[in-house]
Amino acid sequence: MSAGALTPVQAARAAARRERGRAPTLYLRLAVVLAWVLLPAAGPSFQVLDLAVKIALFGALAASYDVVLGYTGIVSFGHAMFFGFGAYAVALAVGRLGAPTYGHLLLGFLAGIAVSAVVAAAVGAFSLRVKALFFAMITLAFAEFALILAVQWGALTGGEDGLSPKLPGVFAAGAPGALGLSGRLVTYYTLLAMCLGLFLLMSRFVHSPLGRTLQAIRDNELRAEALGYRTFVFQLVATSFGSVVATVLGGGYVMWVRYVNPESALGIPIMLDVLLMVIIGGIGTLHGGVVGAAILLTARTLLPNLRGLGGSLFAGSEILQRLSERWLLYFGILFVLVVFFFPRGVLGTLREAAARRRGPAAPGT
Amino acid sequence: MADVLELEGVHTDIGQHHILQGVSLRVRPDAVTVLLGRNGAGKTTTMRTVMGVLPPKRGAVRFEGRAIQGLPPHAIARLGIGYVPEGQGIFATLTVEENLRVAMRAETAECRERMRRVLALFPDLERFRPARAGTLSGGQKQMLAIGRALVNPTRLLLIDEPSKGLAPIVIEHLIAALEAMKRETTVVLVEQNFAMASRLGDDCYVMDDGRTVYAGSMAALAADRNLKQKYLGV
Amino acid sequence: MRRVLPLAVGAALLLLLPLGAIEPRAWLTLTVAGLAMGMLIFLVASGLTLIFGLMDVLNFAHGALFSWGAYAGFTVAVAINGRWGWAASPSIWLNAGLLLLAVAAAVAVAFTLGVALERVIVRPVYGQHLFQILITLGATIVLEELIRVAWGPNDQVMPVPATFQGSWDVADVVVLRFPAIAIGLGLLVYGSMQWVLTRTRVGLIVRAGVENREMVQVMGHDIHRYFTAVFAAGSGLAGLGGLMWGMFSQSIRPSMGGEQLIFALIVVIIGGLGSVTGSLVGALLVGLAYNYVAYLVPKAAIGVTMGIMVLVLLVRPTGLYGAGK
Repeated sequence: MSAGALTPVQAARAAARRERGRAPTLYLRLAVVLAWVLLPAAGPSFQVLDLAVKIALFGALAASYDVVLGYTGIVSFGHAMFFGFGAYAVALAVGRLGAPTYGHLLLGFLAGIAVSAVVAAAVGAFSLRVKALFFAMITLAFAEFALILAVQWGALTGGEDGLSPKLPGVFAAGAPGALGLSGRLVTYYTLLAMCLGLFLLMSRFVHSPLGRTLQAIRDNELRAEALGYRTFVFQLVATSFGSVVATVLGGGYVMWVRYVNPESALGIPIMLDVLLMVIIGGIGTLHGGVVGAAILLTARTLLPNLRGLGGSLFAGSEILQRLSERWLLYFGILFVLVVFFFPRGVLGTLREAAARRRGPAAPGT
Repeated sequence: MADVLELEGVHTDIGQHHILQGVSLRVRPDAVTVLLGRNGAGKTTTMRTVMGVLPPKRGAVRFEGRAIQGLPPHAIARLGIGYVPEGQGIFATLTVEENLRVAMRAETAECRERMRRVLALFPDLERFRPARAGTLSGGQKQMLAIGRALVNPTRLLLIDEPSKGLAPIVIEHLIAALEAMKRETTVVLVEQNFAMASRLGDDCYVMDDGRTVYAGSMAALAADRNLKQKYLGV
Repeated sequence: MRRVLPLAVGAALLLLLPLGAIEPRAWLTLTVAGLAMGMLIFLVASGLTLIFGLMDVLNFAHGALFSWGAYAGFTVAVAINGRWGWAASPSIWLNAGLLLLAVAAAVAVAFTLGVALERVIVRPVYGQHLFQILITLGATIVLEELIRVAWGPNDQVMPVPATFQGSWDVADVVVLRFPAIAIGLGLLVYGSMQWVLTRTRVGLIVRAGVENREMVQVMGHDIHRYFTAVFAAGSGLAGLGGLMWGMFSQSIRPSMGGEQLIFALIVVIIGGLGSVTGSLVGALLVGLAYNYVAYLVPKAAIGVTMGIMVLVLLVRPTGLYGAGK
């Protein structure tokens, strides 16, 4: 191979990198990040700030689930469980080891990551060898089990009541001085940085050679195996990676909400939420998770205001009243409709439309 | 006489892969037409397209003059087309007799009579009638697979690589059984074993890269060493 | 013979070991309770395993059908009892009549819902596992919420016929009546299913289809009709299971389906996809183990269920009677 010329693979990667730099969506993405950073300056209510953080956290969580589901093609119901592990690990480290310090915080995160990595590896090693359907069911069973364990092991986890840890130092007291940031704002920016960092990490993971191999395995496992890739190892790595990211996000969640209990951190509701976010945003798009999180969480904050409306409108009929109250019903209907008509989600449909307009790709790009 | 089966410019995709890229062939009645070609040439995909398991993207498949592309597999089977797939498709947890019974399109007296004839033709199957089909040997499974195709009145029989994995002595029995069937029904045979193919085949088509690249009589192909070398590496 | 022997040994161990820790009379009560619980789970799991085995569909909506069956039966039972007092009556005939009518309602409603679900929700997404999961999940949410709208979100008390309550005194041993009836019903259902599967043509095709769907189609059978039939039958069974569970626990609530679905899933995994016998064995195993352990160490009960599942998968990754797919 001569020194100057590039191999076809290198040429393709260089071209992709150039295209990414020029992509219009890059500026859109930067603008969104900027909006997040500047939001507190606009003096918003706590509710808006809370929404912004939750969108960041759950957006990243949905993206981490997309890595497992969309890019590796594995249906797992255990993802929320790892989120819960992180939440509990941080809550316990900060709450149960005496007065909270930064060291405790870090310890919580590391402990959570360690536990998740081990569990993800164990569950994966054990279950990835079975049929996909089985794997989904097994992860569901494990997730339920973790939930029940959390409820019953009250001595450690505080049972159904959960834990309410206090955060150390700057996160609680704030950073007075030039910027005059409250504890909340310090936490806000820390979490924002964390989410952004994790998201970039996932993006690199997905676009790396490892990530591409995973997509190949997702598309045609037999062929990938025939090509010599040990698909099992790759799948294990991908699920472990996604689970660990979820764990870190769980820790972040506790830092903001300062409360953890089985239902809110480990339960099926979180799993369903994340699933819905990925579906609405678009499977296999990574950014779709953020879009889905934004749509879902915003709708959920706005909907309760409608509930009160329903109560007063239908005061006479109990059934009509219940019909208007049960937003989960419409959630479910929306879910089914989205899966039917927009299986690719918001981003997926947009990307498909854009690709169709661009026409078939020229060779060499 | 009209062709029993005709494929015209058939293109079939599996997922994103364009497997069949223009397959055209005609099958004469009461003859054995052999489909030859290397691994991955698209022979099995062609069979599965005819059976309706894979819908063709383009082109036409005609059975006795009638277009059948796009019909569901069970409808195509009911027109009188029998299929013995690669790997036989034996139901291992069902008994030999149950395998034969489930293959019947309906449990009519005629089909039961045909089953009796099949069991007479393959004495091993009669012997293992109540046994689970999974316990049969490779050769016995192949006999069962062919037997299953025979319990229905069949006007066209598609057989995919029946000799695969079988010992030579078993292949001899197989050839004898197929020669017996040859007289009753039209057969399309996919076979990599050239010796077997040349003994049974009347007409032949060679496929390569999803296309039919040679059409002619079996005898002509067998005699022409250059052709054999070029398309089959034999 | 080879398959029955380890099973017999395992069963003997399971049943006899606890005798070491539990005194005989309590053991008997627990065994009956465990078998009954197992039978009720079997009702749900049997349909689920056939649906998985034949159609490769992960049907989350099964739990919702369980709930709907319970509520449908509940409505009928309350109506009949309210009007004619058949549940409160000491006459076994009236009691049985009420039970039968409630069962009929439960099965009919669940069956109909099943047919509708299969046609409208499941059929369009055949072959796409992820979307099947999502869609049946969405359907579950909708169905559960509809229960909350129609009947209210709170627990309801299920009327149980008088002669089926309480217990029999058999040679100084307390045998609870309803569990015994549940066991009998479960055996009846199992027997019927096995009969249909092994002695009828429909059953033959279903068994073949569980092994190899495509082959059945190229043999000329319209597999989609069998899909609908199996889905509907499984749904009906789930409805029956729901009603019986409601009577067993004497109360019903909208989320009951989802809760039992976990047990049913574990049992299907243990028993193997597509095997009715497997789900019976798995269900009885889970029911017995749960009851014994709950008596001795209450908090470990659920853990034991998971433990059995893990153990079975380590030894046989496709489940005890799995078709090895």
